[in-house]
Amino acid sequence: MNPRKDLLDIQSLTDEEITFVLENAVPFKDLFRRSVKKVPTLKGRTMLTLFYEPSTRTRSSFEVAASRLSADVTHFDVESSSVVKGESVLDTVETLEAMRVDYIVVRHKQAGIPNLIAKNTAASVINAGDGWHAHPTQALLDGFTLREVFKDTRGARCLIVGDIQHSRVARSTSLLLRRLGMNMAYLAPGSLMPREVPQEVAQFGNWTDALEWKPDVVYLLRVQSERLEEPFFPSAAEYHKNYGLTDARVQILRERGIYLMHPGPVNRGVEITDKGMDYERSLINAQVENGIAVRMSVLYWLRPGA
Amino acid sequence: MKRLYRHAQIASEDSPKLQTADVLVEGDRIIGVASTIEKADGAEVIDCSGRVLMPAMFDIHVHAREPGQEEKENIATCAEAAINGGVTGFIMMPNTVPAIDNAGVVRGVLESAGRTRIGAGIYTTGAITKGRKGEELAGIAGMKAAGAVMLTDDGFPVDNPQVLRRAMEYARDYDLPLASHCEVKELSGKGAMHEGSVSYALGLHGIPSISEEICIARDIRLAEFTGVHLNIQHVTTARGMETIKRAKDRGIRVTCEVAPHHLIFSHEDIGNYDTHYKMNPPLRTKEDNAALLRGLIDGWFDVIATDHAPHTEFEKNQDFASAPFGITGLETALPSLHDRFISKGIFGWDLVVKRYSAEPRRMFKLPPVPIVEGGVAEFIVFNPERTTKFTRDFMKSKSVNTPFLDQELKGMVERVVYRGEELLAR
Repeated sequence: MNPRKDLLDIQSLTDEEITFVLENAVPFKDLFRRSVKKVPTLKGRTMLTLFYEPSTRTRSSFEVAASRLSADVTHFDVESSSVVKGESVLDTVETLEAMRVDYIVVRHKQAGIPNLIAKNTAASVINAGDGWHAHPTQALLDGFTLREVFKDTRGARCLIVGDIQHSRVARSTSLLLRRLGMNMAYLAPGSLMPREVPQEVAQFGNWTDALEWKPDVVYLLRVQSERLEEPFFPSAAEYHKNYGLTDARVQILRERGIYLMHPGPVNRGVEITDKGMDYERSLINAQVENGIAVRMSVLYWLRPGA
Repeated sequence: MKRLYRHAQIASEDSPKLQTADVLVEGDRIIGVASTIEKADGAEVIDCSGRVLMPAMFDIHVHAREPGQEEKENIATCAEAAINGGVTGFIMMPNTVPAIDNAGVVRGVLESAGRTRIGAGIYTTGAITKGRKGEELAGIAGMKAAGAVMLTDDGFPVDNPQVLRRAMEYARDYDLPLASHCEVKELSGKGAMHEGSVSYALGLHGIPSISEEICIARDIRLAEFTGVHLNIQHVTTARGMETIKRAKDRGIRVTCEVAPHHLIFSHEDIGNYDTHYKMNPPLRTKEDNAALLRGLIDGWFDVIATDHAPHTEFEKNQDFASAPFGITGLETALPSLHDRFISKGIFGWDLVVKRYSAEPRRMFKLPPVPIVEGGVAEFIVFNPERTTKFTRDFMKSKSVNTPFLDQELKGMVERVVYRGEELLAR
């Protein structure tokens, strides 16, 4: 396995790398049950989070992961920095270069920004979500979570529901789960379904047909109504009725023993109901916990300067 | 002072076959073309064996960036870039700052052009609407009187069909072609590249083919209605091209351009967000490449034009969505057409002479510059055996935003003769 500097997307990972990250996350997760949850692996290293879009969850997850590896953690506060005053991303990167941090965790609303930063810094760049493009650590934690549930993920069936077109999670998680041998399907209104879905991914326009496909896992996406500037669907209420996980649909999941996932944060009343949140086969909290273990494993795997 | 270009392979628009001949130049004229010309007294002899001697190119779609964006390019550097690529005449687009939308700016840019080494070969368009805003008509009659040769809001379509109709009626009466950048802005939205499998994978907003195709259909219908000469700029899709072909067959006065990059590259070349492949209209699919190439060979395109669009390295070194649209083309067009098509026998030199030299001049009622006795000496010598590496040093444009940066292409423009004067010799 060649040393790798950056984690930017799922496409470019080898099977060996995916396995390495997922398997090494297991001992890191075991660490959480101990009273001292910290190892000295990255002592003396610095991880910086550079979030151009607010995301308390993802940022905290990275920060907890880094501190459990004994790395120093710092946050580059974009809001109050000169970024808003027209400094270009690369100007910022030059500043960070001078600080000699080892890992830069980036979130940005534009696709490709982490790639651009990675090209211009010796630090390891971890993409924590860029526009519609990719969210590789989310994909890896989803894969890790499903490996825990199914042991052998090959042949398991996952239905992703919601805004497939604009979701980096749909892109990355779908790619990763297919690499793990799973069968994938999408359920979305036509206006949120990409025109060019890979042939091996089944497409559905309603729950009835999608459930007939017999999914083992239903993966709900957040309806990012705040990001949608065009009328992709008439209203949140109509979306909920036709594409959301209503109480009746929770009951179907329960009867068939289907697992439920969501990348968080949820929109209660839109893609999910209160009852859905309390569903016993929900993996949502497991996803959060596993996120830390997988991010530790990613930090452990990447080689700054490689 | 005479110059004798000996043993050259002469290209013409009439035949794919090259004719071996000697060409004698005196003053601004070709005074002899024959299989052998005895060395005239005092004539400098230039050995052209193995080289193609062909009429110089004329590019009807060039962004010289003057006035207002001289950090990207100015008319002087643009003229030098043109010469470097074997182009001795071009037409400037009006999307400058301020826009070329009145007689004063037209006179200003032509005056600036006049100071270059190909001064009389540089022409300008004028904007259709004031400030290219698509609202009020620009001073069309005044711009025509000052020397503008075509109207266009290039970079933008005229969204409002009523405004476009009025502009076409005006352009028709003032005998000016009207050029359309075809795009439905609402369909393009924030698009940064072709909408398709690659834009999906990269998570970028896409520009769907229908954005261009619908506007082409609308503008052609308006051209038919008004009787204007409509020139469709930079066609990129097979369907758009077919729409234009059908209009031509019905006798509508419509012409169209194809850019070398839309023949050579597809959206798949964008790879890892390489902004040297970002332009508008965008690179489409490989199927579109093949269809456009077929169309060019079958004579559906009137002209090849580069849409030379310089941008600074700083601007292009941003993320893909933020970087500006456009790539340079004047210096690379001919070598790239040679490298990808002529050297492989896909089409002949006659096609390039016709579509990148003769027809573009005819479109503006300018005489073509064939290699004939008594003709104006405006030609280039191209060596198909050498290669050209497009380094920063080699290129004369102020900007280097081309996918061919630091790449080698087969063939080299060795000499450029403009009205008898050798502007380039290497």
